Amino acid sequence: MTATSPPTRRETPGDWIKERLFYNWWSGLITIVLLPIVLYGLYRAFLFFFVNGQWEAVTRNLTLFMQGTFPREDQWRLISQILIFAFAFGIGAGTGRAGAKDRAEDAGLPYEPESIKSTLARMWSLVGFVGLLLYFATIDDSGDVLKPFYLVGGAILLAILGFQIAKRVPRRFRNAGWLVMAVLLLIGFQIVSGAGASDWIPMALILGIAAYVATPANFENPAARIGLKLLVAVVVAVIVRFIYQFVDLPGIPWDEWSGLHLTLMVSAISIVLAFPVGLFLALGRRSTLPAIRIISTSYIELIRGVPLITLLFMGQFVLQQLLPAGTDLSRISRAIAAMTLFTAAYVAEIVRGGLQSLPRGQTEAGQSLGLTPGKTMRLIILPQALRAVIPAMVGQFISLFKDSSLLIIIGITEFLGVREIVHAQPDFRGVSIAETLVFVAIGYWAFSFAMSRESQRIERRLRVSR
Amino acid sequence: MTATQERREVARPPFWRDIRVLRVVLQIVAVAAVFFLFRWFYINLVDSFDRLGIALNFDFLTSRTGFAIPYDANFQSDSPVWQMYLVGIKNTFLAGFCGIIIASIVGLIVGVSRLSDNWLVARLATLYVEIFRNIPPLVIIIFFGFALFFFGPFPIFADSWEIAIAGNNLLILNKDRWGIPGVAQTGDLLLFWIILGVGIVVTFVIWRWRTRVFDTTGEPHHRVVWSLLVFLGFFLVAFFAAGAPFEMSWPALSENRRIFVGGFAFNWGFISLTLALGLYTASHIGEIIRGSILAVATGQSEAANALALSSFQRYRFVVLPQALRIALPPTINQYLNLIKNTSLGVAVGYAEVTALTRTSIGNGRPTFQSIIILMAVYLTFSLVVSLILNIVNRRLALVER
Repeated sequence: MTATSPPTRRETPGDWIKERLFYNWWSGLITIVLLPIVLYGLYRAFLFFFVNGQWEAVTRNLTLFMQGTFPREDQWRLISQILIFAFAFGIGAGTGRAGAKDRAEDAGLPYEPESIKSTLARMWSLVGFVGLLLYFATIDDSGDVLKPFYLVGGAILLAILGFQIAKRVPRRFRNAGWLVMAVLLLIGFQIVSGAGASDWIPMALILGIAAYVATPANFENPAARIGLKLLVAVVVAVIVRFIYQFVDLPGIPWDEWSGLHLTLMVSAISIVLAFPVGLFLALGRRSTLPAIRIISTSYIELIRGVPLITLLFMGQFVLQQLLPAGTDLSRISRAIAAMTLFTAAYVAEIVRGGLQSLPRGQTEAGQSLGLTPGKTMRLIILPQALRAVIPAMVGQFISLFKDSSLLIIIGITEFLGVREIVHAQPDFRGVSIAETLVFVAIGYWAFSFAMSRESQRIERRLRVSR
Repeated sequence: MTATQERREVARPPFWRDIRVLRVVLQIVAVAAVFFLFRWFYINLVDSFDRLGIALNFDFLTSRTGFAIPYDANFQSDSPVWQMYLVGIKNTFLAGFCGIIIASIVGLIVGVSRLSDNWLVARLATLYVEIFRNIPPLVIIIFFGFALFFFGPFPIFADSWEIAIAGNNLLILNKDRWGIPGVAQTGDLLLFWIILGVGIVVTFVIWRWRTRVFDTTGEPHHRVVWSLLVFLGFFLVAFFAAGAPFEMSWPALSENRRIFVGGFAFNWGFISLTLALGLYTASHIGEIIRGSILAVATGQSEAANALALSSFQRYRFVVLPQALRIALPPTINQYLNLIKNTSLGVAVGYAEVTALTRTSIGNGRPTFQSIIILMAVYLTFSLVVSLILNIVNRRLALVER
């Protein structure tokens, strides 16, 4: 008996249509009804985008949409921020790539790096949005047409540079890549917001924690070990404090930020601040101490039961009165506080899900090794739980990013709010309403879509690696 | 025996390392911290309200509201504030309820369509989900409210559309309001409601009886037909016994074609809010439904095919009943999100409770109390909905073997 391959049939376009569009009479009927509707919709969309749409309201106000009412003469700050962020993200990507390669080699597996083409394909919505912005910038005849191109080109070059440098760093210093990235992100932030003697805390935190982790201390006595590490961390923090004494870069505080810049920054700041709060709330909710559990649970359920807008109102109208007389928080600070408190409750539920997904055996293994509850949590439970919740955290960030559009209701001009400035201009009063809205929607869509794709990818990879 | 003795001999650790002491101390510290935080807030609040000369009580609820509510003729600006809250709660409930219906229907269709064999249908559903899921609901609401109904590139809303049969308008589409037939009260409704209430109970009993007959004997139950006929009978009896207390009222436009007379009119804020939220939430529900269908074991579909069920029967009797059970808990979450998102009606001037609260704060009502009431309203909504749906969920959940 000779082995023959099964008969293959080459699918012709006719077959495809028959199989996928006219499978049975029911399917054929739906196709016949839907097809004209779809074609008409495409025709209307084509007309709207390319023929009838008055896109001048967008093209002439492109800078306004990006940076809002941020002072124009300080635009260099935003440009430096973009360039520094690009470099930092390049370093982060390179470090991550190198780490993945190390892990693959340790496990004796072949490592296939992702090609640039597939990275770009994954991020196609963002690439498309940047392309749209560049295209609109060429139509705009008021400003320097080439400036956006220089900016995007410079950012790409710096990202590649950072990536290549980080990839070549020897393995011993691999973790320093993340540190450099964090420091660069903070510097990029402070170039815009300004840095002076009083702005040392975030930098001291980053470098102090890094010093604590990196200090080698081979003492038997745990008190001596922790003591030395803490000492080094405090010394580093104090040094940072004194260095900041000499830094004097007056900046633009975040009250004056607006546009897409504000939208991105507010969501990023809120999620970063919400994470530690949410982590502690999740641990509190899982605690065996009834009082702590009740406090955490009631906070989480209370916040999750009300819409974000009520918390924003609370921040806007009441927060000032809950604090001692004379405390003067800016409008955006209060909004960030509300969004942080809101997101923390959701982060807590996500982290709780991650904690619950771990089998009990993990805790018991830690106990049988004689680890203290704190160490079991820190060394065994949290690393696994937090890894498992990365996709859900990205999802939460997407919803925070979308929710930041609510700031318009309390009078903050973020990306969506810029429209109100545009339509207050004499040329665009009451016209091009749909065009500006569609542009804003495309902007939100591009970021959310790219991030949701990224979270799906991480989810797939986590499932494989388990 | 010796082991227990040995354990007794172990000296207790010093109290600062004794877990039993630490547990108590930690809890006392936590409770005290929360207590003092709130006390601090309260002192500051009293202090600043004193300085501003505002009373920290709820007396303002009985004072006059001071503004009229658009599209609500029954509410006068002299009505007390608590009545304004009732109108707001009613409108929030209405928007949430209609939004949930739209979201459920569209979500189910989209979820099933994403798995369709028909390429066009599956692609359209995917496109729908990916577009609506990734745009902020507020943008969608504003788009519906300001682009579609007021200025939109869609000329059909430039003037009224009237669809009439025998001189009565069934539907009027105007650029800021939509009218559908409604009922107008002409007499006392009390007797009508009493008889109808009895009718609902009887209908429910009939439904249970037919189900039991089917379960015990296997005869066809026809419970929908039975219940409908019984209910209709009670309805007619109630209607005529109460002396025809209401009549149909058809929507119409006034002489200058600006004011709606009769019927039931939705205003543009309501339409754009419910449509936008319904369609936004539908994209999430569609994904839930799709996931649940995929989670139903393939063997179930294959078994249905082996029984030669048609594709419709397979979905209706085998796949969907199981998928919807899986889908219910996350869908409840989406319903709650939708109800909370109705607070965005403030952007299109829909008079729901958040928008009214904001206006009344702008009119000088105390901020703290107003927002506390607002939060309490939403918390109650959330709790009630999750309570009802959890009961439903418990009844529907599969009994695990």
